Formats: sequence, C-alpha cells, structure tokens
Amino acid sequence: MRSVNAVFYKQLRDTLKNTPTLFQFILYPMMALIMSVMAVPDFEGIPEDMLAIIADNMPNMVTMMATVFAGMGLITVIPGIITEDTEKKSLRFMTMAGVKPLSYIIGVSGVIFFVSIFTSVAFSLIGGFTGLDFWIFTAAMMSGVAGSIMLGATIGVLSGAHQAAQGLALPAALILGFGPMIAQFNDTVARVLHLFYTQQLNIVANYLTQGGVDTPLWQSFGIMWANVAVLGLLFVLVFKKKWPVAFT
Amino acid sequence: MTSIRMKNVEKSFGENKVLKGVTFDTHEGEIFGMLGPSGSGKTTIINILTKQFSADSGECHVSAASHEIGLMLEHDGLFSRLSCLENLVVFEKIYGIPRARSIEALERVGLGESLKIAADKLSKGMRQRLTLARAVLHKPKIMFLDEPTSALDPLTARGIYQLIKELRDSGTTVFLTTHNMQEAVSLCDRVVMLHNGIIIEQGNPDEICNRYNATKIISDLEAVFVQLTGGLK
Repeated sequence: MRSVNAVFYKQLRDTLKNTPTLFQFILYPMMALIMSVMAVPDFEGIPEDMLAIIADNMPNMVTMMATVFAGMGLITVIPGIITEDTEKKSLRFMTMAGVKPLSYIIGVSGVIFFVSIFTSVAFSLIGGFTGLDFWIFTAAMMSGVAGSIMLGATIGVLSGAHQAAQGLALPAALILGFGPMIAQFNDTVARVLHLFYTQQLNIVANYLTQGGVDTPLWQSFGIMWANVAVLGLLFVLVFKKKWPVAFT
Repeated sequence: MTSIRMKNVEKSFGENKVLKGVTFDTHEGEIFGMLGPSGSGKTTIINILTKQFSADSGECHVSAASHEIGLMLEHDGLFSRLSCLENLVVFEKIYGIPRARSIEALERVGLGESLKIAADKLSKGMRQRLTLARAVLHKPKIMFLDEPTSALDPLTARGIYQLIKELRDSGTTVFLTTHNMQEAVSLCDRVVMLHNGIIIEQGNPDEICNRYNATKIISDLEAVFVQLTGGLK
C-alpha cells in the first residue's frame, strides 16, 4: 500500500507538471465545447424547420469527443508514462527500493483514472447531463477509461521503449477513438465495432444526448465491462511474460 | 563481518566475456573501491550485486535486503519534472520515513536551498548530489556508488567524498567503482584493480604501493596500475 501511495504521489505531481500529458485531459472537453458552439447550423435562406432537422442529424460533439478522449487520448498517455520511467531508469530505482511492479502499475493507472474523472465531469457539464444521466454518463466514461488504461498499460509493458510504444498505441488509438465516429455514418463499421468498448461508450452517450438507440443500456455496459475484463486478462499475461525485461 | 562476497563470478554478453572468475569480499563499515578503466567490468559487477543481472556462474552474496541498499548509478533515474524535495518524498513514502529526513538529506548534500527546483533545471553536479541524497535517505546498510564523482568539479567532488566518509563512519559499507586514482587514494580503505574482467591486484592502497615500491601518492598508484596492465592498448 505504501508503494502504491508513493507511485500515486509521483505520478500525480508529474502529470500536473507535464504539459503535453495534462493537455490530453483538457483538450478533448475544450474541443467539445468549441465545436458545440461552432457547429450550430445557421445557413442563410434555409427555413428554420430544415435547420432543426440538420441539427438533429449532426453528430453530438460531446459524444464524439468523449469517445475520442477515452479511446485515443488515454491509450497514448499510459505507455508514454511507463516507457519514460523505464528509459530514464526511474523505475529501476523504485523497484530496487521495494516497489513491486504491480504496485507501480496500480499507482500510475490510479492517477490516470482519478484525473479522468475531472475530464468526465467536464464533458457532463458541456453536455448538460444532470441527475441520473450524469451518473450513467460518468459510469460509461469511467468504464471506457478503465478499458483504455488496461490496453495502454499492456502496450507500455509490451513495448518497453517509447518509440515502439507509440508504434503500437497509435493504430489502436485510431481504431478505438475514431472508429465510433465513422460508425455513425457507416453501418458496416458500426457492426464491426459493436463489440468494442469505445463504440458502446459512444452508444450510451448518444442515448443520453439524442435517444433512439437500439442497444439497451445494460447490454452496452455488459460489453464494456467484458472488454475491461478481457483487456485486464491480456495485461496480466503480457505483464507476467514481459515485465522483468521492462525494468532492467 | 563480510558485507559483500563474490566468488569465481563469470559473466558473458554474447561472445564477450566481461567477468572472468572475479573473487573478492568487503567488510562491514569500509569504503571498498573497484578500480579499472572503462569497459573493465565494474558496472557489470554492481549490476550483478544489485540483482539487475544474474551471473553465469559463481557465488554472490550481499548481506542486505534490496530496500536496505543505497544506489547511485550511471543513470540517475531522477523524476525530471519533480522538484528536489518531491524526488525524495517519493522514496520517503516508499520507505515509510518522516519528511524531516528528506530535508535533512538535501541539506547534507548542499541542496537545502534548492528544495523546489525541478530536477531537470539542475546542473550535472547538483543532479549528482540529489542522487546521493536519495541514496542515503533511508540510512542504508550498503551503498553502491558507480563512479560517483565523474564529470564533477573538484569542489563538489570533495563534498561528496566527505559525505561518503561520514557514511562509512556511521557503519555503512560503501562499494564504489571508479577509474579515478585520486578518488581511490583519498577515500578507500581497500581497493581491487580490475582489468579485462580479471582482478589483478587487491588490498589497502598503502599496501599496494609498498608492494611495488611506490609511495602512496596518486601518480604512483596510477603507475602501479599501468605497470600491472601494461597500459591501455
């Protein structure tokens, strides 16, 4: 517990002082806010009822950016942290001092999860989610965040080096972050991505903002948690096999 | 009492045999120096003793648990965005020791007025001192110092020598590697000379100099080394 606390302290301080990383947590809600304000259709000469139809059919910016944040931002952040600590040999000093690898991962992930709560709340405020909707959105966001933390940690441990980590993280982030956006316009992509947690996060957020979603909430949450469990298992397997190499 | 013991240790990296039957032991509360040029196998010995590598053969014993060891290695491993104090607080939390010890350690290495400066804003010498403060924070039983004063100005190096001697006086065993003869002469109670993975001489610096009819001055210990190895080829 002492080790987890120490790693949590280190990571929280480091995240708050690391502008590019911190920016990941601010950028997406900020973009959602700006795009929500700018994307109000206001074309001269088009009747108001037509504008309302256009507005109804436009993808919701909060939904879109929340999915991109959970799917894309975090998958690149976690491997970045792990590989930086590995390459700078900070991890070696921590493990020599008695920090178990699992305590390190829990500490680092804990900070990312914690800071993501604030980002999720920011999305809720921009999206105007209150009452039960707020809790449903937060639960969906944090499930997505948990999935990305697992996947990011797996990539971080698997690659060991920053360059290699980015090579693995970027394609995964593009598929998981942008896939649901494309799925809004393409049914085939939507069917393919149906079992992915970011697609389900997108569906839950769409349900809250626009309603009329076919997938029931319980099913979306079920798929997201199944994703977290599978990614967790994948992480454990990679961790057991690769970790000793990662910190020497 | 023996603190560290190595017996017939061998280690290869691929075709390259780095250690060829290294045998030595260190006593509790002494400053033990491992002398040798770059590439002679000094860092490999530290890595084996701190369990970062395993030896191919031979015996190895360190009479301290990993959390009772202080480290100052080639890579400082500092958290570059964190301040000097925050860097130590991380380890203070790992070891479960009070905050006062971090501040005391920083003051001891002359960084008492740089508590809030980020590690990446420090000069090379200050980073070295911060690394030393981290190594002594938990009052370790054994300290491993890998070329602790390389690239430091003489004044900073002298401060670090003083601190190492204080550690020895408080009962810590100090194991240091160096290719700096001055460091060995002014600091070490005993030294071993390592060349191409083989120990070519060991003992008290005075004894070694006497053995080769040299006086205990820096140039003479250096001369003994050159005489034994034939210089660097």
